Amino acid sequence: MTSAPGTPPFHVLIVGGGGTGGALAHDLTLRGVQVTLVERGEFTSGTTGRHHGLLHSGARYAVGDAESAIECIEENTILRQICPGSFEENDGLFVAITDEDMEYYDDFVKACADCGIPAQELTREQALALEPNLNPSLKAAVRVPDATMDAMRMPLRFFATARRNGADLRNYVEVLDLVVNDRVVSGAVVRDHVTGKVGEISADVVVNATGPWSEKVAAMAGVDVPIRPSPGVMLALRGRLCNMVVNRMHRSGDGDIVVPQRALSIVGTSSWTVDDPEELDVPEDHVQRMYEEGAKLIPAVTRAEFRSAWSAARPLIGSRGDADAGRELSRTFKTYDHAETDGVEGFVTITGGKATTLRGMAELCADVVCHKLGVEAECRTRETVLAPHTEVYAA
Amino acid sequence: MSDAIDERRSRGPVQRKGLGPRPVAWLDPRGRTLGHLAFVGNRITGLGLVFYLYLHLAVLSLLLRGGEAWNDFLELATTTVFLLLDVLLLFGLLYHGLNGLRVTLVGTGYVPNRQKALWWVGAVIGTLALALSAFRILGES
Amino acid sequence: MSVTIDALTEADTAGTTAPPAGPRRFRVFRYKRGDERPHYETFEVPVGHRTTVFEALRWIQVHRDRTLALRHSCLHASCGTCGVRVNGKEALACVTMVHDVGREITVEPIANVPVLTDLVVDMREVFERFPDDHPIVRGSEFLDDADTPDGIASYERYEDCIECGLCVSACPVVVTAERYVGPAALAWGERVLEEPRGAEVANLLSWANAPDGVWRCHAIFECTAACPSGVNPAARIMSLRGTLLGRRLRKQPRGSDPT
Repeated sequence: MTSAPGTPPFHVLIVGGGGTGGALAHDLTLRGVQVTLVERGEFTSGTTGRHHGLLHSGARYAVGDAESAIECIEENTILRQICPGSFEENDGLFVAITDEDMEYYDDFVKACADCGIPAQELTREQALALEPNLNPSLKAAVRVPDATMDAMRMPLRFFATARRNGADLRNYVEVLDLVVNDRVVSGAVVRDHVTGKVGEISADVVVNATGPWSEKVAAMAGVDVPIRPSPGVMLALRGRLCNMVVNRMHRSGDGDIVVPQRALSIVGTSSWTVDDPEELDVPEDHVQRMYEEGAKLIPAVTRAEFRSAWSAARPLIGSRGDADAGRELSRTFKTYDHAETDGVEGFVTITGGKATTLRGMAELCADVVCHKLGVEAECRTRETVLAPHTEVYAA
Repeated sequence: MSDAIDERRSRGPVQRKGLGPRPVAWLDPRGRTLGHLAFVGNRITGLGLVFYLYLHLAVLSLLLRGGEAWNDFLELATTTVFLLLDVLLLFGLLYHGLNGLRVTLVGTGYVPNRQKALWWVGAVIGTLALALSAFRILGES
Repeated sequence: MSVTIDALTEADTAGTTAPPAGPRRFRVFRYKRGDERPHYETFEVPVGHRTTVFEALRWIQVHRDRTLALRHSCLHASCGTCGVRVNGKEALACVTMVHDVGREITVEPIANVPVLTDLVVDMREVFERFPDDHPIVRGSEFLDDADTPDGIASYERYEDCIECGLCVSACPVVVTAERYVGPAALAWGERVLEEPRGAEVANLLSWANAPDGVWRCHAIFECTAACPSGVNPAARIMSLRGTLLGRRLRKQPRGSDPT
């Protein structure tokens, strides 16, 4: 944009205005990189805004995926510090309903301890005193530092801060194609939906942060990333049936979480895979399953008034067969520097991940991008308290 | 950089609800709820009462012209049409007064959540009062 | 455990790939910067029994016109971004069933706020009206008899107001009184008064006490009718007025002017 290509200040174009894109814009801006972010709809209108709003304690992964669990609890702690006033900080419960659940109990508690996730064991009576709507046939419960986040407003604080610091964040601008010459990506062809006009934005590095659309965008550069969009259904019910997040104590399954959010209760979720995340079904049998499984945790679910049922697509990283050549930073998310993986310069993909780990994903992607550009700057996002989300609209 | 941001935020057309130019768009009742219709009624009766007040003063000024002018007027004032207008005037007074009471009670924070109920109570009282009065006014003509 | 839910006894699936209950005609407001004036475009959209207005608009965007700009995020009435007017009435597209609206459906952006593109408005005007102190978390009044865990004094929840601007769109006073602070902001002010959480109450009261503050409201209650979140802005404005009047009446014998 303002400097000659390949010279500082470097210009990075982020494609995708979800939580990852926003957090990355914030991180890079703090490191002195000039950032333009383009998002074809409203910020967080892809997958980010649609999830149930769980600020993960990591407890769900403690047994099966310790690395992700540790990631979650670390980011959980950081987010509460950099986004004060943005969470319903009521903690959460893992509730054992059946004998089978109880078989999981000891492993669960031990794994939480191993991962550094505070876990307080509770009796049935203690749990019911905290959450009177719980299934009275519950056997035991464990308290963990889950919380509720506003799936849009929390990430929006990253956008607001980035904008305050000079990043150019453009919603309603859609990437139609990438500009690629001799296996070098130098920008993107975009349509601005505000004006209807098509134009070009050039950049030193283009980052693909489009979540379940990652494969589509990567294909524009002639590279492949193994992302399968994996939708799940969620159900919003009127009325706050619990104040703490309520999880089922078992290995992951459908409908095993109830997240309170303002005056609603969100029951989630299910899982299937699709090829195209553009238009997602809301299968009736999945919604039915949310009622059934949710009722096992909180029977009042079946009597609560329906508010909404919708789907959101997780960016699920599939295996690439042999040699996961992308720089594997965690089992839940990956950054692919396509110069390394595919011989295409100027293009990086960051994908996978959870809403809770947006800042951590951005830090590691920013490390990769800065390494590519030769920018030596420390990440400052762990300590930087974020601007209020309203600044995205009115500074 | 900030130019780009300001450019993105420049203004487009502003949609307004209601048919007609801005000052009278509030008259359009489509898609409006009871509270708005009550407000419209209040404005129209208010304007009507102001108009009536002027008319009333003009009529009273006839007294300055002596007994005959006044008697001429009284003949007009006892015709059926005129009495019907009197009923209309009474409707305006009752509507504006009772709704005004409602707005006062609601608008000072006394009963902010009962605005619909208050409207219906007023409507019942007003209709009864109007019916009885109309009967008496028109009955004597 | 088998559960029969009344709303789910229909065998068809939700979403636009469902067996259509018949196509509906959608008349959609269109505007791009540089257009002399906005215009409307009509689309025939296949809808199912539980299709929402959002899903129908999305179908149009995916299958008919990629340049249609839509605003949405959470799809469950929590983010407040998908506010539109459906047949003239304010609604959140994501929770408005096409089935409930009618055969012919006109979708327009919300009123009183400048249009950015198509159904997307520039929310700056809504947000600029809010007082600076803008907390989004409050105490939870749900299940208030329950214990709280150690270390947590009381449960919290997000505020009801989702900043959707439907109240600003519905308010007839905003049309003619451009500087009127508006229902969303005033309702927020009253919430802060109710639950200060360390905010500067005196500043808030003088902000609300202005001619373009609570006194500009005509007790029309369109805002309360339009609010999808139960904020009841009109009642909150009235309550603020009551508080301000009370303070004024109490202070007057002393001869000091409360501002």
